[in-house]
Amino acid sequence: MAQVLVVDDSSTVRNEVCDFLKANGLTVTPAHDGKDGLDKLRADSAIKLIVSDVNMPNMDGLTMVEKIRGELKNSNVNIIMLTTENSPAMKERGKAAGVKGWIVKPFNGAAVISTFKKLVA
Amino acid sequence: MEIRQRIAVLVTTAFVAIAAIGGYATIMSRTNAGRVKGVTETVVPSALASADLVAQLKDVQLSTMNLVSAPDANLVAQIKEKLEADKHKLEAALAQQKQQADTDTQRGLVKQAEEGLHDYFAAVDETTQFKVSGQNEIAEANLFGTVAQYQTVLQQVIDTLRIEKTRSKDATIATLNSSLSATVTTLTAATVLSIVLLAAIGYFLYRQIVRPIGRMQAEMSEIATSQDFARRVPVERRDEIGRSIEAFNAMIAKIEENSAQLRQKTTDIQAILQNIPQGILTVVDGHRVHTEFSAHLPSILETSEIAGRNVMELVFGASTLGSDACSQVEATIASCIGEDAMNFDFNAHLLVGEVEFKLADNRTKILELNWSPIIDEHNTVVRLMLCLRDVTELRKLALEAGEQKRELEMIGEILAVSQEKFHEFIVGSLTFLDECQITLLRHADHDPEAVDLLFRNMHTIKGNARTYGLHHLTNIVHEAEQTYESLRQPRPDIAWDQDSLQAELHAVRRAVEHYARINEDSLGRRGPGRRGGTERYLLVDKVEILDTLHRLETVNTGNLHELVAARDAVRKTLRLLGTESLGSILSSVFDSLPGLATELGKAAPSVLVQDNGYVIRNQASGLLKNVFMHLIRNAMDHGLEAPGARLEAGKPEQGSINLSVGVHDGQLDITIADDGRGLALGRIRQIAEARGLIEADDVLDDESLAHLIFHPGFSTAEQVTSISGRGVGMDAVKGFVEREGGSIALRFTDDQPGAEFRHFVTLVRLPESYAVSIDADAHRAPRDNLHPLAPVA
Repeated sequence: MAQVLVVDDSSTVRNEVCDFLKANGLTVTPAHDGKDGLDKLRADSAIKLIVSDVNMPNMDGLTMVEKIRGELKNSNVNIIMLTTENSPAMKERGKAAGVKGWIVKPFNGAAVISTFKKLVA
Repeated sequence: MEIRQRIAVLVTTAFVAIAAIGGYATIMSRTNAGRVKGVTETVVPSALASADLVAQLKDVQLSTMNLVSAPDANLVAQIKEKLEADKHKLEAALAQQKQQADTDTQRGLVKQAEEGLHDYFAAVDETTQFKVSGQNEIAEANLFGTVAQYQTVLQQVIDTLRIEKTRSKDATIATLNSSLSATVTTLTAATVLSIVLLAAIGYFLYRQIVRPIGRMQAEMSEIATSQDFARRVPVERRDEIGRSIEAFNAMIAKIEENSAQLRQKTTDIQAILQNIPQGILTVVDGHRVHTEFSAHLPSILETSEIAGRNVMELVFGASTLGSDACSQVEATIASCIGEDAMNFDFNAHLLVGEVEFKLADNRTKILELNWSPIIDEHNTVVRLMLCLRDVTELRKLALEAGEQKRELEMIGEILAVSQEKFHEFIVGSLTFLDECQITLLRHADHDPEAVDLLFRNMHTIKGNARTYGLHHLTNIVHEAEQTYESLRQPRPDIAWDQDSLQAELHAVRRAVEHYARINEDSLGRRGPGRRGGTERYLLVDKVEILDTLHRLETVNTGNLHELVAARDAVRKTLRLLGTESLGSILSSVFDSLPGLATELGKAAPSVLVQDNGYVIRNQASGLLKNVFMHLIRNAMDHGLEAPGARLEAGKPEQGSINLSVGVHDGQLDITIADDGRGLALGRIRQIAEARGLIEADDVLDDESLAHLIFHPGFSTAEQVTSISGRGVGMDAVKGFVEREGGSIALRFTDDQPGAEFRHFVTLVRLPESYAVSIDADAHRAPRDNLHPLAPVA
């Protein structure tokens, strides 16, 4: 039962984010691509926040979000995307899919931790 | 009066008029209908009936005449019946007339006619009687007499009645006609009047309502299109329209006030934007710069093409910011604009705060960037505001302040070290560095021994620097040491690159010289200490003290010889405390000579030191080491020839260097000479001309020429092959010596002025106080070990 689902195909990024969140008292579950993320979300109803990369193999982040809102009919979980670049098309897609925020890499824990804690409350 | 009241009046008046006219028309038509009915049903028939009376009377008369003239009784009976009938008819008609008589005149006439009729009928009846009774003549006579009389009278009355009735009938008809036409006239007049009245009221109302409304609408449209909110629609009445206009004016006044406020605010903001000495711009969706920006911005970015441009290209295109950092900034901006304010908090740290901005003519500016989100009531970032500040000067000042701080720290560090120790450290370090330099230059490739030397020297310098707490030096020295350490490894992972090693070494030298400069210039401390210090203070070796003490303690006080010997020995020891022989002072320099010789491809020289009974105080050790290292190396490099050349010149392969110590004229003299080829005066001249120190046609004697080598930057070597070749040697040496109150000079020892090469010695002079004679008594007489040659310099 975890509060945060961290989805990124890079183990470096995944570990960095997970370690930081754990050090700040949050419980996390990692996933390595969109499909894995969906499975983990289905299996755990306590997840309140998803932090996900955009570019991943198998299933990319935005597709995963669309499936979460669509097939899983989950409109409660807060979703924040990790990205290296941002285009208007990406923003539109994100907005339509109900993405709450965008974090540009590199991940800076100090800037986001207070908002994250609010989002899992 | 209110408009509604007027409208009410209009409507009421209309209503009333219509009702009145309608009512009047109805009444009048009914009345007239009645009258017409009366006339047609009564008056006219009656009048006609009255005309019938005459005819009926005539019928009666005729019947009577017929009766009278009837021949027989049957006829008489027949005619009598008809006569009776006619009489009845006449009577009935008259009765009818009586009934229908409607004026007194008519009634009077009818009454008269009745009376006449009565009389006439009586006469007729009488006549009839006479006839019936056969009295024809009487009947006839009656007929033409009484009957005719009465008939005439009756006829006149009936006629009069008829006339009267006709006249009455005409009068009635005339009255009726006039009444009808009066009605028509009245109605027409009333209708026309009503129309006029209603038209008038309607017109006035129109004027009162529609025109003002039209004017109001026209004025409002004009105010709306002209945006001139100072205008008002004139109020001319106190009714609803007047009040509407007042309300409208009030609204316009409000709008005027608001737009005045807005204009004021806009003007204020404009004033700020125009005058603030900061570059302010806002970024909208699509990374575009908004058209409103501060007036100062173009002078910061040195372009007026700002509005609508892509902010990345405008600000970062000309910057030294790396491409990945740029793409981060770009992604961050995209992630903030149009999104929840939370996204700015997430990513703001990636928005760089400072950028080096390159301008057209290769100038650079340092711009400080300050980013803020502009957020609307839905907590969405609408735009990003960017403030740019030119902080080039600021950074320069900060840099200077930083440098000054460093200088102060360095001064603090230097002051914590005694003048003497510091001086020794500097001199020693420079010596080590010179050695490193030479070693480095003589090895184009990796050489373990060379690396070893480099490492040892640097390590020593580092150790000393650490000991004295010279922190601004230790780092750079440590780095160089680490470089040598990694080169020492069996498989070093860095390459032996002369240029970069040279640069590194040079950096260390610069750092050391910086300290030296601060020591001398800022602190005014020159040399190892105050000149008086050489008289007042000695560096003393503890061991010597102990030995001396031991000597004193163990002497046999009963033995005078021993006492004297002990005293002499102690005296000597004391005197020699803090001194060293020249050879001992320069031992490290001598040790490095074989290696140096090998590098130079020459034979290791033999070095001979003639102390002449003198030792030198320790205070001068550092100086002497440094000075003579240069001089000896110069001798090795320039003076001594290669073995082959030496052999050809009939000299032994091994060169020799001689040093000699003496005291003359209150000066400690140390001379150094070598048996090499001598001073290359021709070359000196060439170089001097090339350096612009002398003109081609200047005439100089050999002494002046030789003196040129003390000029800073002078070098006789083709390329930088040694510390001496680098051209800082002799002037630095001269500097070192002169700082101690000494001098350095070249003196020719041959007798060949103008030759290409001339033999010479170098004479280093220091204050006598640096010298101590080992045997105090042995040096009372003037020494003459050295030729008292005239000094060159």
